[in-house]
Amino acid sequence: MDFFKSGLKTVLGAPEAGQQPSAGETVERLVNRVENSTLLEDRRDACRALKAMSRKYRVEVGAQGMGTLRQVLELDRADNETINYALDTLNNIMSPAQFEEEEENPNIPMNIGEQFTEMFIKDHNNIQLVLDLLDEYDFRVRLSAVQLLTSLLTNRSKDIQEIILVKPMGVSKMMDLLGDTREVIRNETLLLLIKLTKGNANIQKIVAFENAFDRLFEIVSSEGYSDGGIIVEDCLLLMLNLLKNNSSNIHFFKEGNYIQKMLPMFQTPDDAEDLGWSPQKVSNVHCMLQIVRTLVSPSNAVQIISSCQKIMKYAGLLDSLCNILMASGVPADILTETINTVGEVVRGEVNNQDFLGNVMAPSNPPRPAIVVLLMSMVNEKQPFSLRCAVLYCFQCYLYRNEMSQASLVQTLLPSSSDVSSLTSGQLLCGGLFSSDVLSNWFSAVALMHALTENAAQKEQLLRVLLATNIGSSPVSLLHQCTLLLQQSTKVQAKVALLMLLSQWMSYCPSAVSAFLKVPGGVGYLVNQTCSNEHDDNEYLLQGLSAFLLAICIHFNDDSVENYSKDSLKQLLLKRIGMETFSGKLSEVTKHESYNKAAKHPQLRVKAPGEILIDYEFCKLFKSLEGVLVESLTVKRENGVESLPESRASPSSGALEQYKSLIRQQDARLQELTQQLDGLLRQNTQLQSALNDSLASNSHLKDENTLLKAQVSAATPLNHQAPAPPSQDDAKAKEYEAKVQHLANEVAKLTNELSLAQEAKKTATEELEKLKKDQEDLLVLLVDQDAKLNEYKMRLISLGQTVDEPPSEEDLT
Amino acid sequence: MAYAYLFKYIIIGDTGVGKSCLLLQFTDKRFQPVHDLTIGVEFGARMITIDGKQIKLQIWDTAGQEAFRSITRSYYRGAAGALLVYDITRRDTFNHLTTWLEDARQHSNSNMVIMLIGNKSDLESRREVKKEEGEAFAREHGLVFMETSAKTAANVEEAFINTAKEIYEKIQEGVFDINNEANGIKIGPQHSAAGGAAAGGAGAGGAAGGGCC
Repeated sequence: MDFFKSGLKTVLGAPEAGQQPSAGETVERLVNRVENSTLLEDRRDACRALKAMSRKYRVEVGAQGMGTLRQVLELDRADNETINYALDTLNNIMSPAQFEEEEENPNIPMNIGEQFTEMFIKDHNNIQLVLDLLDEYDFRVRLSAVQLLTSLLTNRSKDIQEIILVKPMGVSKMMDLLGDTREVIRNETLLLLIKLTKGNANIQKIVAFENAFDRLFEIVSSEGYSDGGIIVEDCLLLMLNLLKNNSSNIHFFKEGNYIQKMLPMFQTPDDAEDLGWSPQKVSNVHCMLQIVRTLVSPSNAVQIISSCQKIMKYAGLLDSLCNILMASGVPADILTETINTVGEVVRGEVNNQDFLGNVMAPSNPPRPAIVVLLMSMVNEKQPFSLRCAVLYCFQCYLYRNEMSQASLVQTLLPSSSDVSSLTSGQLLCGGLFSSDVLSNWFSAVALMHALTENAAQKEQLLRVLLATNIGSSPVSLLHQCTLLLQQSTKVQAKVALLMLLSQWMSYCPSAVSAFLKVPGGVGYLVNQTCSNEHDDNEYLLQGLSAFLLAICIHFNDDSVENYSKDSLKQLLLKRIGMETFSGKLSEVTKHESYNKAAKHPQLRVKAPGEILIDYEFCKLFKSLEGVLVESLTVKRENGVESLPESRASPSSGALEQYKSLIRQQDARLQELTQQLDGLLRQNTQLQSALNDSLASNSHLKDENTLLKAQVSAATPLNHQAPAPPSQDDAKAKEYEAKVQHLANEVAKLTNELSLAQEAKKTATEELEKLKKDQEDLLVLLVDQDAKLNEYKMRLISLGQTVDEPPSEEDLT
Repeated sequence: MAYAYLFKYIIIGDTGVGKSCLLLQFTDKRFQPVHDLTIGVEFGARMITIDGKQIKLQIWDTAGQEAFRSITRSYYRGAAGALLVYDITRRDTFNHLTTWLEDARQHSNSNMVIMLIGNKSDLESRREVKKEEGEAFAREHGLVFMETSAKTAANVEEAFINTAKEIYEKIQEGVFDINNEANGIKIGPQHSAAGGAAAGGAGAGGAAGGGCC
């Protein structure tokens, strides 16, 4: 300290006797000296003095010296020592931390470092100056520059990130320092890069491009993987930054075979079990698990997740993770995180799920790992977070895997298999009816996931019978759940059962009717829905009850006499009222727990008491809420039949419609063909009748002409006759009579003819009309034919096979 | 999985000339007529064979927009090859080549192989830049030239593979320092990769065995 004081003295000159200069004055003189002195030594000494003062008097040094110091960085680059002092001084005044020396000084604002940072970065060239100094090989200069940049980034990360991004080679220069052989610089650079990459995808990509993963894996392996020190953790934190929410980098990580390189991190030596885990190792492994989870996080794109999962299984990473799961001596928080990680590595990937299903625990007798995990889940002595993790892992195991869902339900069904061995199903049933409310919740939700989007298992689970008391007849699981729902006094258990029943009964009319047959079930739901208690959780219960009631109505196949669709609807309208009902239903989505759960498949609650709603249930609720309200408000149109179809496949309803339409048209077609046949026959009859009448007509005409000829032949005779009247009188009279007779006959025939002609005319008219009718019918027929074809095509496009109907040509 | 060499490429050029489509055609063998603007940089990878050797190409597809120019500059230094792309139906994209080339030469290592690519050769009727002009520009600046169509896939394979061949030849000639990863070239971890694969297989086998029990 004496040396220091004397140093100050030499720089400042002897103070005037009796008058101690204030800090501000001292700083002013020092700054002047740095700025104006022509001697390098003087400037260096002044810088050293400024550095010494900057910890205690950073306001003064910063306010007066910042400009001068940055000038030093520019002009005195040749002298490493001076530069080093200047950098350290700048770092002190902009440091985000509070120094011991300034603790007693109340005048220093808390965010003084940040304020000076803001001033410093106003000129972007200042950052460039510091970046340029990274090229300096001198240890002190390089280290100070790295530390200064770290401080700047701590104070103003967003701004500095943007500035560095546009500086050519800015990021590259820092990446180069990772290869520095001096470990101190390498380690400080790691800290700098962690700050630099936080939340900036563009920088993350550049860092990855600059071979960051290679360098980091080199460091991690040289430090001994998970057994290494805090440097390993820093490397892993940086990797985590590069991968988080950055699909391009995840893709790069996968393509660069880096997943395979993670394998040694998870291989724990077998003999090290007794040694226990150092806190550093716990942190390291925790970070590694985070990296794995980032790669297969459910929030990533599906293709990325699936290809990463495949590689993880192929590379043996899943195997290693399962080994950690089953190893002894693993700290609880690592075990918890490993369970979560295994869950996400298998989620939705059938091969991985099968792999997990086949892992055996090294217990005696050997049990499937899944069973061992579930044992912890329903064990109230296990830590809460571990139990949550098991549930999540189990959900992932069941997710979109009909086989694993079926095999779980299978363990509950009466079968010939060995009864003595413990199965997952038995564990869940035990949990469902245990006195521990969390076990109830976990088990109900786990069972619910076995039914998600799986109609077959909903039916299968209905067959499950429970022997409640010795001597009494067994009751069905659904029956027991319904009774439990009515008897339970705990909110969490009730919520869980309501969720389970909702999942079970949705899209499953037989489950609905089984529920309706349980005495008191409907009454309980109605009472709950009507209940008027004011409490967030009570609101939730009311909403869930309303939801289940609506499911009972919507998926009702009218097979239970007293609770048909209509009677339940009437009950709801009368007892609850539509308004109240929709109000209660909407309470569910308003609940905090619902909104939390809907965000992520993994349960994110801190305390056991907060656990209420499950992610998959949110999905079910979201998809059904609108449908249910609509089905209650809209007057029934299609009746009950349309319900099962509407979910089985959306097209089957339409298909049925088309089928009936075609059937109708077939009938109509047949009817029309018959009509046409009749008309055709009538037409031929008329035609022949007409021909007959025409023939007789022409016959009559002939006769008529003949008669006319006879008459005309007779008339001249009459004219010649008067000459001998007397003689011929009698003859004439005779002829006259004959003529009269003939004339009569002619008149008669003419009359007949005109009658026939008239008949012919009407017949022709009728024929014409019939012909026209026939034509219309043919047109209609063609039309129908076309329609028929169209429907046939539609049917085919809907995937139905169509038998050739009796061809229309044959009919016509 | 194992490769002899790994080359890093970048694709540069004006916005809308079809850089992302070229990459998609090369890595996925498909064409996407409507493509979102590339933001920053996107990554793609594929394995090819040259001279009987497996070579892994890691390709960074950059954003052509001026706003991202400073970001894309960071990728020049670490790349072994660059595809400089223009659009034969837009004269301005051809006119900007000089700027792109200056930028690339300034920030990259001097050995970087640059391939000049006139894309959209399927749109002959709307052509604004003659093939001869592209050839002349390439000759003048010492680039390899090719016209491609990301839509019909014409010459797309060739563009990427010929660039790789050129880099490969330079390695054979000893021009590239393959031990310096900043050149965008990596020697494959053949031995270690083979060992890793074997271990992985053994692990899987063991697991299957466990399943049987």
